[in-house]
Amino acid sequence: MTSTLWLAGLALVLVLIVAGWYLSYTAARLDRLHAKVSGAWHTVETQLVRRAEAIVELANSGQLDAASAFLLASAAADVLEMDDGDQRKRIGAENDLSAATSAVLAQVSIDGNGGSDAEWLGLLVRTDRRVQLAATFYNDAVVEVTRVRRKPVIRVFRLAGHAPLPTSIQLDECRVS
Amino acid sequence: MRIGIVCPYSFDVPGGVQWHVRDLAEFLIALGHDISVIAPADDDTPVPDYVVSSGRAVPVRYNGSVARLTFGPRSAALMSKWLQHGNFDIIHIHEPIAPSLALLALWAATGPVVATFHTATLKSRAMQAARPLVGPSLEKIGGRIAVSEDARDTVRRHIGGDAVVIPNAVFVDRLRSMAGGRRWAGTATAPTIAFLGRYDEPRKGLSVLLSAMPEILQRYPQANLVIAGLGDEDTARGAMDETTSRAATFLGRVSDADKAELLASADLYVAPHTGGESFGIVLVEAMSMGTPLLASDITPFDDVLAGGRFGTMFSNGDSHDLAVKALAMLGRPHVGRHLAERAIVRARDFDWSVVGRRIIDAYELTAQSFDAATLAPPPEPEGWRRVLRSGRGVAR
Repeated sequence: MTSTLWLAGLALVLVLIVAGWYLSYTAARLDRLHAKVSGAWHTVETQLVRRAEAIVELANSGQLDAASAFLLASAAADVLEMDDGDQRKRIGAENDLSAATSAVLAQVSIDGNGGSDAEWLGLLVRTDRRVQLAATFYNDAVVEVTRVRRKPVIRVFRLAGHAPLPTSIQLDECRVS
Repeated sequence: MRIGIVCPYSFDVPGGVQWHVRDLAEFLIALGHDISVIAPADDDTPVPDYVVSSGRAVPVRYNGSVARLTFGPRSAALMSKWLQHGNFDIIHIHEPIAPSLALLALWAATGPVVATFHTATLKSRAMQAARPLVGPSLEKIGGRIAVSEDARDTVRRHIGGDAVVIPNAVFVDRLRSMAGGRRWAGTATAPTIAFLGRYDEPRKGLSVLLSAMPEILQRYPQANLVIAGLGDEDTARGAMDETTSRAATFLGRVSDADKAELLASADLYVAPHTGGESFGIVLVEAMSMGTPLLASDITPFDDVLAGGRFGTMFSNGDSHDLAVKALAMLGRPHVGRHLAERAIVRARDFDWSVVGRRIIDAYELTAQSFDAATLAPPPEPEGWRRVLRSGRGVAR
């Protein structure tokens, strides 16, 4: 009788240890994913700043008429002066900037024969492509964290704490015709 | 940057992934990066000096063809050692879900990881079975690359999330400079038709071309069919009728120089692949050489040829259509040449100087995100979660 009790007790302790390990492992995994998302977002922001700087350069290049240059410079300034806070507001402003840039570039005929034109355009295309790359990587991380947070064990034991659920982003490209 | 590249397939045998890894390594080395590639290899096979062997490869049927893979505890130990010694700024894993070296690397990796997905034919049941095992390690991947839209679809369907499409690449100028002569050049009445690839693999579509040959030979009785690549010649000849067999020449495995020369001499290069192809690298090679090109209309080929703007396409698997298009092209060579001239320009979009830059972008962004994630203060745990905190190890 006593030995059965002992065995049952031992089994219970084992189950508790395994459960504890699993909870701890899942919590660590979730923390890692949250860190991954915030790291990826940091990269998106850096790339967006670079792109805005490339657009400011384009506005100041003297290749554009005064009205277009002013439009781009002010849209870029809006983005660059933003403080890190509201992600959705930031994305909205960035997409306004993309739209303004695309609209301006649609009006300008681009001299494909090299020269300074090709240079600032190349910089814009490169920075814009890196923004897209960073955004895709960020969205992948968001999908991963979302999937893990849907697990029942996370919800029942509130392993996510008060960390906000990150959302995916949609950043428009600058269209270069 | 110090970059560690993991290639799951043995360098002993030819294959798209291996070639891609070799070219990528050489491209990066030329730019001054510090590269180490780990791949399975037999001890006596000569490999480039940037390749570290992860041990012997075992042939395994996987994903529709025979792949030579390494696994087991010894490989796992070698992998950990390689990662530790390498101290890489970025780890680039190719085909991360192959049941092999790539998976070992993913388990052992502690730094920033970029992964390239090549396959477009992943079995979904296999992925589901492997999910609990592979899922958490896939989260170590900071940047995902797919080599084609099809490969990207596979990622989206079986893993979730997305991937950036960065196509395979070719050293256009190097390839062009390799073609010394025109050994296989045909004439107007005896044109040369070229086929490249492992012809014993059904998905390379040699049988589709062979069924079309009688129709072609009826119009051009002296046409030559030159087949370059690995396979069993006797079996292949057994599947041919007599006239086709007489027209066929088998070159076996060819060097890059011979391949370039064959493409440069051929009057028509036929790519009858029926599917399972991740990207039309063979097409880009033919385009680089200015070879008139006839390809099946599978998605990756359609992507490269932009819906037929840079080469002719026939209905996949349809031998009669192949024959009709081939005869039309051979009958009007100037049209094919015109298309081929445009194709040379198009091929430059797939040159390493263009494509490789985008891979480096992926490295830089992934490394940056990883650093930012590591430096960021962990969220303060609330309530009873503080208890869990104490026991856990930091895995990155």
